[in-house]
Amino acid sequence: MTNRRNRLLAAPLLALLALLAFAGPAAASGESVGSCIAEKLEELIEESGDLDEVLHELHVDTSIGDHFEKKCIEAPSPILPETNEIIWGGAAFLILFVLMVKKGFPAVKGAMDARAEKIRSDLDAAEQARVDAQSVQSDYEARLADAKTEASRLIDEGRADADQVRTGLITQAEADAAGIRERAASESAAAKAQAIADLRSEVAGIALGAAERVVQASLDAEVQGRLIDAYIDEVAGTDG
Amino acid sequence: MADPRVAGYAEALFAVAAAEGDPSVVEDELFRFAQALRSDDSLGSTLADTGLPLARRLQVIEDLLGSRASAVSTALVSMVVGAGRTAELPAIVDAMVERGAASRNKTVATVRSAVDLTADQSERLAAAINTRTGRDVEVRVVIDPSVLGGVVTEIGDDIIDGSVRRRLNQLRESFR
Repeated sequence: MTNRRNRLLAAPLLALLALLAFAGPAAASGESVGSCIAEKLEELIEESGDLDEVLHELHVDTSIGDHFEKKCIEAPSPILPETNEIIWGGAAFLILFVLMVKKGFPAVKGAMDARAEKIRSDLDAAEQARVDAQSVQSDYEARLADAKTEASRLIDEGRADADQVRTGLITQAEADAAGIRERAASESAAAKAQAIADLRSEVAGIALGAAERVVQASLDAEVQGRLIDAYIDEVAGTDG
Repeated sequence: MADPRVAGYAEALFAVAAAEGDPSVVEDELFRFAQALRSDDSLGSTLADTGLPLARRLQVIEDLLGSRASAVSTALVSMVVGAGRTAELPAIVDAMVERGAASRNKTVATVRSAVDLTADQSERLAAAINTRTGRDVEVRVVIDPSVLGGVVTEIGDDIIDGSVRRRLNQLRESFR
């Protein structure tokens, strides 16, 4: 019964030790607190020779555990590690430092340089893109200005052409009107002249008809004879 | 140049007239008949109408010339009409007259007047033409009322117009 109780009491104690051992001591010696306490317990058990008695003392006098714990937790020097640790740690540091200097640093530096170069390149590209964009914008604005100028010029030309066409049409219309007036006047004058000529011809016809009738009435045999005689004298050239 | 057929008939008529005596009388009678034929279209169409019997047409000629012309002139006109050359008769007579004048070394002067010229007027006119042109002419008078008064003389292509009609025409032109 007592062994069983001791085992039951030892279980949490071992769990505590395992916890302390795996949790790691604050010491830099590489030995955990658990393992230290276990070593102390083993030494105590070897000194007394009876596990139950040791457990009983630990159960009655809790200061023993506290003593173990304080003794195991406290490192020999909180600052200066063990010599071998310094050696191994220094060697490892040196190796790691050399590796870092020889391999890691150039790689990191190369990566950083590449990164910086990439950033610089990206910045240059961005600057170039900005310049290109400004150039495009300037070109667009120039084209827009040219388009506005061209549109304005076309409008002015169209207006000038329209004015010219309007002026030409007005001039042509005036010329046509003048031509029509001139033709009308000419036709009127021609009609007037023709009417006068017709009237004159008509009057002449009437007058000549009357004269012919008068002449015929007056041309008796005596007059005919005188006309013939006068003709003969005229042909002979003796009519003076 | 005259139509050879017209010239042939003219030569034949002149030869017959010359054979029968004084050709100038026959020439004068035929000339007057030709002028009547020119001025009277119905006479020409009657004599040229082949639908009428030749005897009827010859009777017309006999009625017109029998008492006014010599038998030779009547026979010559009947011969030309009987030969179917009535339309060419004026031209044949003109050629015959020119042929007769040429045989006497003269030129025919065709004188158109409203009234007939007296023999004295014809002689004086012939002398006046001779004085003016230097050519001896035989005056052939054509009665043309359209002349109204005065005389128009044609000698070949030359025309001496002293008619009242010309004076009236000049007056008409002056009105235009």
